[in-house]
Amino acid sequence: MKDKLIREILPLVAKPVRYTGNELNMIKKSWSDSKCRMVLAFPDVYEVGMSHVGSKILYGLINEKTDHLLERSFAPWPDMEALLRSKQLPLYSLESFKPLGDFEVVGFSLQYELSITNCINMMDMAGIPVCSKDRGENAPIVIAGGPVAFNPEPFADFFDAFLIGDGEEVLPEFLDLCFATRNQPRAERLLAMAKITGVYIPALYQAKYLENGFFKELVPLNAGVPARIRKRVVTDFDQAYFPAKPIVPYMNLIHDRAVLEVMRGCQRGCRFCHAGIVYRPVREKKVSTLRRQAEEQIKSSGYEEVSLSSLSSLDYSGIKSLVKKLVEDYGSCGIGVSLPSLRVDAFSVDLANEVQKVRKTTLTLAPEAGTQRMRNIINKNITEEQLMEAVQAAFKSGWNAVKLYFMFGLPYEKEEDLGGIIRMLKEVKATGNRYSRRPVGIKAGIANYVPKAHTPFQWHRQNSPEEFENKRQFLLKAKGKDKSIKLDFHDSRTSYLEGVIARGDRRLAPAILKAWQYGCKFDGWTEYFQFDKWCEALADSKIDPEFYTLRDREKNEVFPWDFIDIGVSRDFLWREYEMAVQEKATFDCRQDGCNDCGICSEFGISMEIEEDVQ
Amino acid sequence: MKVRCEYCAGPELKFLSNLDMMHMMERALRRAEIPYALSEGFNPHIKLSMGTVLPVGLWGKNEYFDLELTKNVAPEWFVMQLNSVLPAYIKINRMIEIDSKEPALMKTVNAAGYSFVVKGVSQSELQQQLDNLIKMPVFLVKSRGKKKDVDKDLKPGIYKIEVKGQEDSVIINLTVAIGEPVNIRFDELKDLLLSAGIREENLTDVYRKANYIKIEENYFTPLEKVV
Repeated sequence: MKDKLIREILPLVAKPVRYTGNELNMIKKSWSDSKCRMVLAFPDVYEVGMSHVGSKILYGLINEKTDHLLERSFAPWPDMEALLRSKQLPLYSLESFKPLGDFEVVGFSLQYELSITNCINMMDMAGIPVCSKDRGENAPIVIAGGPVAFNPEPFADFFDAFLIGDGEEVLPEFLDLCFATRNQPRAERLLAMAKITGVYIPALYQAKYLENGFFKELVPLNAGVPARIRKRVVTDFDQAYFPAKPIVPYMNLIHDRAVLEVMRGCQRGCRFCHAGIVYRPVREKKVSTLRRQAEEQIKSSGYEEVSLSSLSSLDYSGIKSLVKKLVEDYGSCGIGVSLPSLRVDAFSVDLANEVQKVRKTTLTLAPEAGTQRMRNIINKNITEEQLMEAVQAAFKSGWNAVKLYFMFGLPYEKEEDLGGIIRMLKEVKATGNRYSRRPVGIKAGIANYVPKAHTPFQWHRQNSPEEFENKRQFLLKAKGKDKSIKLDFHDSRTSYLEGVIARGDRRLAPAILKAWQYGCKFDGWTEYFQFDKWCEALADSKIDPEFYTLRDREKNEVFPWDFIDIGVSRDFLWREYEMAVQEKATFDCRQDGCNDCGICSEFGISMEIEEDVQ
Repeated sequence: MKVRCEYCAGPELKFLSNLDMMHMMERALRRAEIPYALSEGFNPHIKLSMGTVLPVGLWGKNEYFDLELTKNVAPEWFVMQLNSVLPAYIKINRMIEIDSKEPALMKTVNAAGYSFVVKGVSQSELQQQLDNLIKMPVFLVKSRGKKKDVDKDLKPGIYKIEVKGQEDSVIINLTVAIGEPVNIRFDELKDLLLSAGIREENLTDVYRKANYIKIEENYFTPLEKVV
């Protein structure tokens, strides 16, 4: 197979290095000596999937610390897919070039709602039945995890199991059980798996609906199957496994650098943020641990940059001393430190300046909304003064381009909030021209807001594509002809579908299957996104997408994702929703006391804060 | 100290682009803790310059790069240190010190040797096909470069054609011009061989065997011809 690929197929495709594996630090374990054989299938191209930190952790953990084996596969680009299909070659893993169907477990990482069509397509390319019910005794167990799996229901038909929460906690246990039950009938194995905390087996539940079409409940069909699925949480995060020898690809990745996960979770409590709720509580690593991990990674990879990754790295309590140490340790060999999106304040910019001594990175800030009123609604606790201090500090110290992230279509949005975005951009530009020696460039990424499950805005209606379009026109008009300010928008039709699936239920699964049958794949890539095909699939399945997006929900409406126990209570989310209406902020529980979201008391765990909070 | 290295990038790496190869080498230099020199400025980079571009789809037996170091090192140490961190299918053959004013590889390398491995055809049959080809007044192929599909005569740029028998295959060695008088690409050479009657399925491998600095009728490797 490998020979045929290299001689007949790879010379004909774009970026063949995506498909050859064999990178530095790749782990190829013995097929026959390994217990359970799993392939981690990432439903996007190689250079996107290889940038994903969670996959790096699971890959190293399973291969280094257990007797199981974990190989990799990525979605082939359509040119490669066409060739594989025409030569009747199955989708294969990059380590041993085995078809995905030869593995006992095929696991998908769900990072984005619309990547589901790629999951289905990859199963099909491997000859694995795409629906759970059609898989025979010898078919692989197909599983999924990742942030999107916190509302697994729309994908219930396609996966045998979902793993909810921190993968490094639940996956080893899951594979142990797969191995132990190897010789049992499939139905019995699934029943046994359902007993592992954090594992959801959709086939063991029936979804019931009210006459008006609203969701009623999810009923376990067998005794011993839990009614609620509790997410898994890494408790000793500082000591948790982290790969010392990351794979170093030959081709350029999206994030082509060594990565340190400085903390997991975020306590800021922005009301729009899905990750900020489902990954609670905040857990940090010690500066000493991170320095050791940086050294290991740089030594084994030779990367020219270390990125400090997390949901909000500037909130990491040891950030200042960590950055200082890393710059001291590696600056002289030309190895830089990079910070993802900065916090909006002067402290952040000062820190960015430390980093800039080695390598200039783009200055990116996320005020998210244009007025104080709206920032209170979404609980983005920054003020306009803080933003202006930040940009002033930036322009004074030599930056001459800034990128700002905003959202629109937010709850209770008024025209003044949209106008506020433009006013803020003009203000930033004026500040820049005052302090910078060169003309400044301002870029704004303006995203369509999509309400997500498990957030305070899970009750709120989403803007329609028409509303987004009107607001977009308004923003463009308000900006005027100023060419030094650039606005970037997302496709509102993509966001519309994302919204349908994000708060969807099982009844969507047949429509998703149809969309794939009609040719949808790579839906996150504008050049392949086919909105009309999706609409056709939804209509043919008698689904009204507006039921899922364009209505406000009642306080007591039961949601299809309520049975996923994320530790944060529905009461807390509702309180936060009410606070939003009143334009009231909720403060950071690290500094201002517990807000009683439920995670610490419910799970009997606590935040792990490593350094003195500044 | 400025040095020039000769390396072999095996068949496993034939799909790497020139940029991929450069990044791989930079990362290996860091892992090996070679005392490389950095450029000035906000975005310092290793002072590494790769030789003529090895096209995607080809592997190379003798490729070159120049590198600046901050201190003097022994060639044996350098080669051993770098080879210990490089992937198995890439290997540094030799390193020599060069003058700091040595002209860049890209400027001096003006010829290359390409090898086509042919299976399932006898050496005499192949020789016959190539003899017929050589008699032609022009070697016309469609250009694969910037001016796509324009007729291009390769003859002035083809210096040598040799056929060599091996155990189970025959190798055609072609020594050709880079740049002047006519730039010859390996895919154009392949088209030429196909036009001479060699069948695509019999071509089992292609690689670049050598890079040369050609002065009149003499061919020097970039390690031999230094100031």
